[in-house]
This record gives sequence, C-alpha cells and structure tokens, in this order.
Amino acid sequence: MTKNPTEFSLTLDGKTVNFTPGETLYEVAQRHQKDIPTLCYDPRLESFGGCRLCVVRLEGAKNPVASCTTRAEAGMVVHTSTPDIETHRKTLLEMVLSENRELEVSPLRGYASQELTELSERYQARTGRFEGKQSGESRIDDTNPFILRDYDLCISCYRCVRVCAEEEGDYAISVMNRGFETQITTEFGGLLKDSDCTFCGQCVQTCPTGALADKKAMRYSETPGEIIKTRSICTYCGVGCSVDIMTKGEQIVGLQPAMDGPANEGALCIKGQFAYDFVQHEDRLTTPLVRGDDGELHEATWEEALDKAADGFKRVMRIHGRHAVYGVASGRTPIEGDYMMQRFIRAGFGTNYIDNCSRA
Amino acid sequence: MSMTDAQILERYAREPAPLLPVLHAFHDRDGYLSEEALRVVADGLRIPIADLFGTVTFYHHFSRKPGGLHGKRVCTGPVCCRKGARELARSLGAETMPCSGRCDDPIPVLEGHTTLIGNTVSDLVHKPSPLPAPNPGGYQECVFAGIREEGRAGLAGYRKGGGYRALEKALAENDPEGLIRTVTESKLAGRGGAGFPTGRKWQAVRDAPGEPKTIICNADEGEPGCFKDRAIMDYDPHALIEGMALAAFATGATRGFIYLRYEYPETNDILAAAIGEAEAAGYLGDHFKLYLRRGAGAYICGEEGSLINSLEGKHPFPRNRPPFPVTHGFEDKPTVVNNVETLVSVPPILRHGAAWYRDLGLGEHAGTKIISLSGDVARPGNYEAPFGLPLHTLLHDWAGGPAVEGGTIQAVTMAGLSGGFLAGDDLNVTLDEPCIRARGSFLGAGGIMVFDSSRDMMAIAAEAMHFFAEESCGKCFPCRIGTQRLTERLTGAAGPRDKTAWLDEVADLGSTMKAVSACGLGIAAPLITESLVRYFPERIEQHCAS
Repeated sequence: MTKNPTEFSLTLDGKTVNFTPGETLYEVAQRHQKDIPTLCYDPRLESFGGCRLCVVRLEGAKNPVASCTTRAEAGMVVHTSTPDIETHRKTLLEMVLSENRELEVSPLRGYASQELTELSERYQARTGRFEGKQSGESRIDDTNPFILRDYDLCISCYRCVRVCAEEEGDYAISVMNRGFETQITTEFGGLLKDSDCTFCGQCVQTCPTGALADKKAMRYSETPGEIIKTRSICTYCGVGCSVDIMTKGEQIVGLQPAMDGPANEGALCIKGQFAYDFVQHEDRLTTPLVRGDDGELHEATWEEALDKAADGFKRVMRIHGRHAVYGVASGRTPIEGDYMMQRFIRAGFGTNYIDNCSRA
Repeated sequence: MSMTDAQILERYAREPAPLLPVLHAFHDRDGYLSEEALRVVADGLRIPIADLFGTVTFYHHFSRKPGGLHGKRVCTGPVCCRKGARELARSLGAETMPCSGRCDDPIPVLEGHTTLIGNTVSDLVHKPSPLPAPNPGGYQECVFAGIREEGRAGLAGYRKGGGYRALEKALAENDPEGLIRTVTESKLAGRGGAGFPTGRKWQAVRDAPGEPKTIICNADEGEPGCFKDRAIMDYDPHALIEGMALAAFATGATRGFIYLRYEYPETNDILAAAIGEAEAAGYLGDHFKLYLRRGAGAYICGEEGSLINSLEGKHPFPRNRPPFPVTHGFEDKPTVVNNVETLVSVPPILRHGAAWYRDLGLGEHAGTKIISLSGDVARPGNYEAPFGLPLHTLLHDWAGGPAVEGGTIQAVTMAGLSGGFLAGDDLNVTLDEPCIRARGSFLGAGGIMVFDSSRDMMAIAAEAMHFFAEESCGKCFPCRIGTQRLTERLTGAAGPRDKTAWLDEVADLGSTMKAVSACGLGIAAPLITESLVRYFPERIEQHCAS
C-alpha cells in the first residue's frame, strides 16, 4: 500500500522535500542540514515548545510556528530563516541573557553546557539589553558530591525535569511556582539526597547553560590543558554504555555519556557517570600482593602470586573435590575475559559452577 | 464529622479528574495543604510527589501554611485598586489576589469560602452578586432574557420560563445533526473571547473518533474586568446545564465538567445545587454525567489547554496545538470546550431559531454579547448588547456616563485587560470584532473597564502588566521573561531612562512576544504597552524623565 509520494512532501526553504508522517518540521529541517537554533530541545524528549527559538515561518499561519511541535503536513510551505524570524531569535536570546547569565561557563559543567553560549555568539546577542530582575536561586545548601544546582544560571527550559521523568522515570524534580518565579525543585524544596534522585546525572548532561553541573568534573576546572574526549565503554555492567572519557594530559577529569551510544543513547547511571575515580586512585594496586606467614600482605612478582593462587586452588580441590571450586566473572570483564574464566573453571577443574556478577 | 484521608480518596478517586476535588477536600478539612496530606494524595492518586508539590505551588489559592485557607484575600484588580483595595488589604492585614470578578460591586474580599463586599474594614458584608439591570436600550436579549425572573435559579423557576424545553424537544426529535445545523446557522461563536464558530466545534467533536467524548464548560472567568459568567451562573445555573446537555446530545458526549474559578465560592454552591436538581429530574444522569470542578487560582487555566491539563491533574501549562481539543482534549479524547455565555445562548437559539438569534445583532452582525462594564461609569454592571452597538451608547446612554459629574472618560480597556486600551477617537468604535480589531485591539470576553481623566494610565498599565507577569505560567520564554521586563519598564524598576532606548526595548519585547509566544497570554500582554505608547506618549515622556 504505497501512497502517492507527493502526499508526503512539503516545501522547505524553496525546495521540495519528503517526510515521514509523524515527523516534526524541526526533524525534517535537521535532515536537510538546516541549523535551526533551540534551547529547550533534546531529541530524546517529547517536544516541549518552550524556548520558541525554533520558530519558522509557515505560509498560511498568522504567527510563526514552533518547528519542534509542528508536525509536517503535505503541501506545507516552510521558511526556516527569514529576517523577521532571525530578529525574533536574537531578541529571545537577549531576553534570556538578561535573566541571569554568566558569559562563560566551563565545558566541564556538562555535555550541553555550551549551548546558550554558542547561540549567543552566533546571533551576536547583546548582553545588558532588557536588564532587570534575575531569575532562579542557586541551591548552595545542597552539598551532595555530584550535582551542582546553580540555578542562578537556569533559564527554565525544563530539560532536566523532562529527562528525569521521560528518560529516567525517576520524577525526582519538578517545576515550582510560575512565570518569572519558576524554580526547579524536588519534593517540598528539599535536597536531592532526600528526593527520588538517583544521581544518574542526566539532568546535568542535558542542561544547556551549565546551571546543573558535574561537581566532580568541576574539580579540574582550573587544571591546565585542553580537554580531550576519548570514546570508550563504561566498565561497570553488561549494558555497555558508550562514554566519552575527558582528560587533561594524563588526568581523567570527567566523563560524559555518548549521545550516539548505541546501547545508551546518552543515558548513564550514577556509577557510569560519577564513579570513575578508582582508575587513578592512589589506593589502586600496582603490583601483586601475597599474604606471608606473618599474616601481612607483601609485594610479590606475578610468578610468585600465580604460584600461590594455583597452590590454593589445587589444595581446595584435593581436599573438597572439584565442585568446591566456583568461578564468578566480574561484570567489568570483557567478553574475552569471561571466556577465559569459564574455560579455566570448566576445563581446568572439571566443574560447571560458573557465574557472572551482573546476574545478581 | 470531617472525612478521613481514606474517605476523601474513596469519594473522588474513581471519578474522572479527581485531583482538584481531592486537594480541595484536604484543603477545606485541614485549612491548608500539609506535607502529610500531599503525600497521601500522591500515593492515593499515583502522582509523583515532586510533580504534585510543584503543581500545588502553581495555584494561587492552595495554602501551604496552617490556617491559610481562612486568611482574607483582597481583590486588587485594576478597578478595585482605584477604589482603595491596597489600603483595605493593609488595614485587614490580608493577602491580595488578582481580580476576583466582582468589579460591579465594592471591593470583594474572600474569606475562606465566603465573599465579603465593602470599601472599608467596617462595612464588609456578605451579599449576593448584583443581578444584571433590565436592558437599558430596550433591545431583545438572548442570554439575559429570563435571568431576572423570580426563582430562576431553581429547577421549577427555570422550567416555568420555558427552561429545558429545548432539551426535551431535541431529545424527542433525535436529530443531533439538525441541532448542530441550527447552531451553525445562528452564527453563534465562542463568547470566551476566541470567537470560534460553535456549530463547527460541535460538528468536529461529533465527527471525531474516540470515546468517551467530553463537554467542558470553561467557567474559569479569570480575565480582570470580566464578571458576566458569574452573573449567569448565580442567577441562571440551569440554563448552563441545559446548554451543556444539548452540547452532549449534539456531539455524543457522555461526561461533562464545569471548571469554575476558585474565587466564586457562592457560585460553586449554586451550581452544585442545580446539578443535583437536574440529576433528580433526569436531565443529567448516566447518559450525561456532569461534574463540578473548582479551580484553585490560576488565570492561565482559562486557556483551554491549561484547563484540560489542570483537570487531568497535570502541571497546568498550555498544550501545544495542534492537536486541538476537538480531537485530543480531556484524556486525549474529543472534547468541546465552551465558555459559559456560549453554552447558555444555545437553549434560546433552539427555541426561537437561528434567524431570531442572528437578527439580534445590529446591521451585519449576528447575535449579542454580554459586556461586563466597570470602573468610572455611573452604572457599572453586565449588559447584554447587540453586536454592533456603539461603545459610546453603552458608556453614556446605558451606563450613565462618567461616574463623577463633569468627568471625562479617558480610556477603556478591551477584552478585560487582554485587548489593551482604547482612547481618544478610538472610543468611537462599535462593539464588534471587525471594528475593534481594526484599532489593534479586540472585544474578546467582553470586559470593559473605564478610566476617567483623573486616573494615571501609566500606573494602570504597570498594574496590568504586573498581573500578566504574575499569571504567566512560565512555559514559554517570550512570555515568562517579556511580561517581567515590560512590568519593570512600566514601573521604572529597571530599564533605560532614555526615552528612545525605552521605546526601542518595549517595542522589541512586545513584537517578539506577540509573534512567537505559545499562547494568548503572551500574545495579548504587549497590547497594553502598544496602546499606552499609541494614546499616551506624553505620559511615557514624563515617566522616562522622572
């Protein structure tokens, strides 16, 4: 049942383009490399239509329409960038800058933290215009170790609230009051630790101004050096979330979810997001340790350590039988490591008692 | 005996749109909404507690402090402020509230669920709202035709004047399509301000797939200077019920809601009694179940998307359109949202015919419009005017001209506050949309506030914009920031001192708000500054110089 293809085409900046029913004008425009500005948009979330930067001219409509919430319809004639539209976008940005904006925020604050900065530069939005009362109030009392709630920088796009509800399903935060007095809040205005927050950091990574910021990464704001991002896989569990490890020189300074990660599409949990300090932790073992007759651990060579372990395994099997040996692979081992473990247990000891900690 | 937590939940949880009545039940029982109560509600209705907390803070009248429900709230609408409402609030040590829809009386003060009226602390009394005066122009009326009959608010009185005859006839004829045709031919259009043709809306809901269908009466009359729906519901509640039952019959809807603003507690009781009578008489029942839902103080809930979200227990932000409520309304099912005046017009139209209604208007214009007239006129009140009536006739012949002898009318507002001001030669308009829209304003819901030459239009504009800023929901950027910045520029709290820069900022803010705001609030608010600049440039000059 193919329909006439012209039923699914519209005119975008003078060119006839096709669309899939259900697509929004913003999505169609993106596929055609139109760089429409947005601040409240996150492709993972339901379109919200709050920032109004993505408005486009739709012939026949009295006012410009928000392209993120307008579904494409056959025969529409759409202009993504007219002088009027560009003027409104610039005015909107100048309005936003008048609320509370610091001009430069560290990119370590979060994945999307530069969005407003970049748009302001692109539109040469003037600061100091529309000056007046500031909105939002930072929660310096929230001393949790992970998420900085610097609401002085909040522009009320509610991406944090929406990602918490729509992607995480935690519903830990919400919108309090209304209008210019709007404030992001937890239940009864309390601390994140007393709320349903799981500290996954999703709110941090979608925040377009850095109002929500990665406190751990910000420890390295002053560390010299360029931030290098290296694509990797989270080592914690079997999901295999893609991450970008941020380093300055030899120092890991933070970690951000990969928005194009096939398994996670930008999602992470508290462990993947924040628990990476072990990699360069001073307590981390750098040589094998073997317990001596004195009951204390002593540095040893790999040969000594492996001999000691092998002796132990053999002794257990001799006294208690082959089924006394049980192999558990760490959830953080790669698949090759898991394979080696099961070969080692099955072929080496002749038992099928194997497992993986991720199953628990 | 007050209800237990479990009893409250049991009473409402299985009804549609349970959140507002449940919250009101706790609010009324405890005198405020405690943390404990909200946790019980969140648990009972399965709403995330953070969401519920945020949503409760959205509403003006839900108090989170013990005893808060019973504290006095003084109306500080534009007309009441001219009568000394702020001084009254200070004397009472009371909170203020936005216009509470009693502009044809002395200053209203809400105390719990009682409306007191008076200009000073000592003369506050409880009394019924004013009944509309007989039509001063001698024009035939539609909405107010029977409202002054004795006992009209009761079922017997309503039936005596021909009430429920239209519904009985419609049910007997069983021709919903024909009924809709008559409504369409009458040219009745939405009287809440948007003016969408009523027959077309009903037909769209009738044709839309999905059940159950819903009729919502928007009785959240929050527009400052508008108090017509209050008069209709106080004195003719069965007319509204009949109008809704007809809408239900025409569209196939089986459930309905009256979403009533919080500030009309007496109206709430009157409607509840009338619904009870109509149920007992069989006009309402399983075929069409009508629920009364009380708002909690939020102007934006008069916007239909916000209203529906509010009913559904969601954060009352406006919805993105399309889709429209006719296909995706309450619980995403086809829904009619009509204003009180619109629905009440239907029974007379069906009794007398489409041509009769059309001919009530003057010249080319069809039908009538209730105008809520208040401020500096001798006889403020609700008037049913034929469309096309000169504003001058209404102000001077019907309402007796300026309140103060020898006074001059300096300006009037249109559409309550949303249409901004008309002044000077533009006071020569006729009361119909084509004429008023040509002057950059609109008639809307029909609230007209009058200010004589003793009034400072700059102060009134600043108060008006402050109202919009306080009522802006916070969803879209241009409205949330723009109403705040315009307020600051009008009060002088912030903004350029240089007149050219002042005008430049105000014009740019207004132009972007009008073009790209997500709903009518942000689109309409700049009409205040636009009309101020147009009619009172010398006042802006002074303002920037001071």
